Amino acid sequence: MSLQLSQRVQALPPSGIRKFFDLVVGAKDIISLGVGEPDFATPWGVSAEGVYAIEHGRTSYTSNLGLLSCREAVSDYLAARFGAQYDPASEILLTIGVSEAVDIILRTLLDPGDEVILPEPTYVCYGPLVQMAGGKAVSVDTSESGFLPTAESISKVVSPRTKALILCSPSNPTGRVIPKETLSSLLALAVAEKFWIIADEVYAELVYDVAFTSMASLPGAKSQVILLNGFSKAFAMTGWRLGYLCAPHEVVAQVNKIHQYSALCAPIMSQYAAIEALKNGMKDLEIMRQSYHHRRNYVVTTFEEMGLSLHAPEGAFYCFPSIRETGLSSEEFAMRLLEEKRVAVVPGSVFGLGGEGHIRCCYAADFVLLKEALSRISAFVKTL
Amino acid sequence: MISTPVAQDILKLLSKNARLPVAEVAKMLGVSATVVEATMAALEKEEVIVRYTTVINEQKMPHMKRKIWALIEVGVRPERDRGFDDIARRIAQYPNVVAHYLISGAYDFLLIVEGDSLEEISSFVSDKLASTDNVRSTSTHFIMKKYKEKGILIGEQVATERLAIMP
Repeated sequence: MSLQLSQRVQALPPSGIRKFFDLVVGAKDIISLGVGEPDFATPWGVSAEGVYAIEHGRTSYTSNLGLLSCREAVSDYLAARFGAQYDPASEILLTIGVSEAVDIILRTLLDPGDEVILPEPTYVCYGPLVQMAGGKAVSVDTSESGFLPTAESISKVVSPRTKALILCSPSNPTGRVIPKETLSSLLALAVAEKFWIIADEVYAELVYDVAFTSMASLPGAKSQVILLNGFSKAFAMTGWRLGYLCAPHEVVAQVNKIHQYSALCAPIMSQYAAIEALKNGMKDLEIMRQSYHHRRNYVVTTFEEMGLSLHAPEGAFYCFPSIRETGLSSEEFAMRLLEEKRVAVVPGSVFGLGGEGHIRCCYAADFVLLKEALSRISAFVKTL
Repeated sequence: MISTPVAQDILKLLSKNARLPVAEVAKMLGVSATVVEATMAALEKEEVIVRYTTVINEQKMPHMKRKIWALIEVGVRPERDRGFDDIARRIAQYPNVVAHYLISGAYDFLLIVEGDSLEEISSFVSDKLASTDNVRSTSTHFIMKKYKEKGILIGEQVATERLAIMP
């Protein structure tokens, strides 16, 4: 008998992006709008603080929850910036990016067969992590409502097994931001039907022209909501791997058990850098935000000029234009664009229901390259 | 027109890249090209935009005749009723002086002086600057290497390696 691997892991679908990744890797002449991270380096003052921590021998473990000083900084920041109140002593857990937070909260909440509702298209990690936690992902197609979930569409799939709803706003991949009224009605539904809301707000700082409301700031939200956020997108710190989970202390106490056994703590130097980011990084953040904003305007107008329709993205650094008019599937479009014009984008189909017929373009790219990529896409569309 | 938020946004963009085409500025700010053109014209007319200039990395032009720069600290005796401004006006007119500031601290003016050779700058200091009325002292520091100018790092920057495709 040969050695066996877990059935559960083998049942996970392979990442839809993998194929593109293999084609693109090593190629020098490709312009990529397929990234999922800022094109800025971490602000120097923030990096320097991480280096300083290493130079001074701050290279140990921290407490499982993370440095109290870092949690206090996060608590103050959430209160000042988003009106969300969390006690740094017991309601905030620092994690290895938001990814770890998603994983451990799902393992904390789910029993076998529990259902988690995913408004799609959405970020690719939620479904597989639900599956790994023994739960069942229930997809809701939001493409008919401008890629925004509504209480009505969610209520249709609520069942006695519904344990949680995962919201990603501002959204990867669509850039849409869920308006306050919708958040309120989703919260009311969650209260009435007794399920958790996991609010992934990692792009919360990257919002343009509209007001952003944090789910955690709504009245009555606190007992029902798990807030996830992190430093990767706002402060261009993807490689530092630092996120945080905020929840009622009974929840944090349980999540922390998994965290302490599987990760122990988030990297200490990243925590010191993060304190600096929250203390002195807001000016850098604003400069980056404005730069994304300008590029967003440019990209949206350019796609409209090409005749590809899209819902203007209010946040993150993605746009999600429709390519239905071309008659190609999103995978064909992305593959041919790569082969014929050497531009990499991500086919919408990898982001779940409603993603087909769209491509995700990340505009966090050097402006000169971004312009060139757009003109290549325009030329490609004309050949179809 | 020059006090609108759009004008401020235009200035920010042009201060980073003065050659950004009007059409691109318009698209980035979500306004019409006509508005950008008119605002730029107003900014130029009012001399908010004084000049469009270029940041040059001379290290990449080894065959070009190199300029020499010096920072010069100047101590002066201010004139009755006229303060520093009159002396400054006389010094700032020299074409060798590319920047001239009144500063707090141990001396009064800080000049950035440009020349084709050490001798040119030395003779400017001895013949023109030090002999100007009411100049008490000068102290000249030649610039040996530039690391950063106008907010731009000079020299080889290491490109970051990002994965081309990420979810």
